[in-house]
Amino acid sequence: MRSGTHRAQSFLIVATLLYRGSHLTVAVMAVVHRPRHLPLQHLGFAAALGLSVLAYGTALRRGWFDPRHIWADILVTGCVLPLALCAWGGVREPPTIAWAMLLGGSASAAAAITLDRLHAVAAVALLVVTHFIGYQAVGATPAVVVGHLNSLVSSAVMTWVFRWYLLRQGRLLDEANARALAAEAHKARYAERLEHHRALHDTVLATLTTLAAGAVDANAPEVRQRCAHEAAYLRRLIQQTADEVPHREIGAALEEAVRSVESLGLRVTAQYHALPQVPPEVAAALGHAVREALNNVRRHAGTGHAYLTATGDPDGSGGAVVTVVDRGPGFDPEQCDAGLGLRGSVHGRMTEAGGRATVDTAPGEGVRVELRWPG
Amino acid sequence: MARVITVAVVDDDRMLRDGLRAWLADVPDLRLVATAGTVAELLADPVCGPGSHGPGGTGGPPADVILLDLVLRDGSDPADNIRRLLRTGGRILMISTVPDRSRIIEAIRAGADGYLTKDHDLPTLVAAVKDLAEGRGAHSMELAFACAYDDSPARPRLSPRERQILLDYASGMTLKSAARRAGITVHTAKDYLDRVKAKYQQAGRPTYTKLDLALRVREDSLDGG
Repeated sequence: MRSGTHRAQSFLIVATLLYRGSHLTVAVMAVVHRPRHLPLQHLGFAAALGLSVLAYGTALRRGWFDPRHIWADILVTGCVLPLALCAWGGVREPPTIAWAMLLGGSASAAAAITLDRLHAVAAVALLVVTHFIGYQAVGATPAVVVGHLNSLVSSAVMTWVFRWYLLRQGRLLDEANARALAAEAHKARYAERLEHHRALHDTVLATLTTLAAGAVDANAPEVRQRCAHEAAYLRRLIQQTADEVPHREIGAALEEAVRSVESLGLRVTAQYHALPQVPPEVAAALGHAVREALNNVRRHAGTGHAYLTATGDPDGSGGAVVTVVDRGPGFDPEQCDAGLGLRGSVHGRMTEAGGRATVDTAPGEGVRVELRWPG
Repeated sequence: MARVITVAVVDDDRMLRDGLRAWLADVPDLRLVATAGTVAELLADPVCGPGSHGPGGTGGPPADVILLDLVLRDGSDPADNIRRLLRTGGRILMISTVPDRSRIIEAIRAGADGYLTKDHDLPTLVAAVKDLAEGRGAHSMELAFACAYDDSPARPRLSPRERQILLDYASGMTLKSAARRAGITVHTAKDYLDRVKAKYQQAGRPTYTKLDLALRVREDSLDGG
C-alpha cells in the first residue's frame, strides 16, 4: 500500500497539472486565433508545452517534481517568454500577451510546492518583477497589473498551504497506520503467548502442582514418564521459538504429531533448527507423515524411543528436511510388509503435497525415514 | 577389576547434583569424588584443588572426568570455566538442560570433550564418561546436530563424507547404521566424528584474526558453503 505522504504528493501533482492544463488551453486558443503573430508565438507556446510535459511527466513517473525542471519552467515559460514576446513578437497591447502571462501563475504554483522556501520566494519574486516589466512595456492599466501580480502570488501561497495541509494529513495517516500495524503484531504475539501459557498450564504446570501437593508418588513410573514428556515438550518449545523469526506452521504440525504418540507411550527426542515457512497444506502433510512414521516406530521398533529432527534445507532454498529415526530391528526393504504403512501413507501424503519420502533400513539397523519438501 | 573412574560435577542445581550422586552411587566403575555449584568452588575443594594429587594421592588429575553444566548461574563464561578445569588435567563432559547450540560449539572450541543434554538415561551418561576416561571421544546426537547445523562464519570446513556421517548421526541413527548407509566401517565413521570434533577444537585454539575470518567466509562462499 502507498503511504499517505505519497498519496498527498500525487494529489498535488495532479492538481497543479490541471491548473497548468487550463492555462495551456487558453494559450492554444490565443495562438490559434491570432495567426498574424505566427513564428515567435508558436515557438513560445511549443517551449511552454515542452517544459510542461517534461516537468509533469517526470513528476508523474517518479512520484515528485524535479526542482531543475521547475526552475527551467520559471525561467523560460515565466520570464523569457513574456519578455521575448514584448521585445520581438510585435506585441503592443495587453490582451495579446495575456496567455503567456497566465502561464506564470501555474509556474508559480509548482515552484511554491517544489522548491525549498528561499528558492520558492526568489522564483515568485522573479516572476512578479518580470511580469510587472512585461505589462508595463505593453502599457497595461494598473488594475490589470495588480490583478495579475496578485494572482501570481496567491497561486503560490494557495498551493503552498495545500501542500502543507495534505502532507501533514498524510503523515498523520502513516503514523496511524504504523500504530495499527504494531498493535496487530502485538496482538498476534499476545495470542501466541496466551496459547503457550495455556499449553504450559495444561501440561507442565498441572504436573508440577500435583507433585508439589504431594498427592502422588513422584517415583511412580507413570508420573516419571509424564514428567519426561513435559520436559521434552518444554525442550521442543524452546527450540521452536529460538529462531529470531519463528515460523510456526511446521513446528505446530510436528508438535501435534509428537504429542499424539507420546500419549501412547513413545518417547520422542526432537531437535529443530531454523524451521522454514511453508504453506499450511505442506505443514499438514509433514505433520501427518511424521505421525505415521512415529506410529510405525511405536508399533515395530520395540525400543519405545524415536528421534525426530526438522530443519530448513541446508542449501538455503527455503525447503524443509524432516527425519524420523529409530534404533530398532529394522527390516529387509526388499521383501517385507512392515514397510507397507510407511510406503502407503507416508509416501502418499508427501507426494500429494509436492514432497518426497525416502525410507532407509536394513535388518538390525533401525529405520530412517526422511521427508523432504519440495521433493 | 577395571580401574575406578573418578568423576566431579559442577552444576548450580543442587537437586541435579543430588540426583547424580544417587545415580552414580550404583555404578560400580565410577566414583563421584566432588560436587560443586561453581568452578571456583570445585577448585577450592581439597580433593580437587591445586596442589592435591587426586583422590587417594595417586598423582593423577583430581577427577578423571568433570561433568560441567553449560550455563552456570554465577554468570561465568563457559569457555573460561572449561579452560580453568582443563588445567587440572581432567577431561570435560558438558551437560545442559536445553541444547543451546552456539554455546555447545563454543564449549567444544574451548576444549570440552563431549556434550549431553540432561534427559539421557544413566547408561548413556556412563558410556560417555567411560569413553572420555579411556581417552576416546564421546559423541552424542545433540553435539553432532549442533556441529551439523553450525552456520557461524568461523565453522571449520568439513569434507562431504564427514558431513554425511555427522548429519546421519545427528538424526538419531546409531553410528553403526550411519556407517552402513555411507558404506564404510564403524571405525571409519567414528574417525570422521572424531575428526570433526578435532577440527572444532583446533579452530578454537588460536584466536581468529579478522583476516582469517574473512578468508574463511570467502572460501565458504566459493565452494557454496
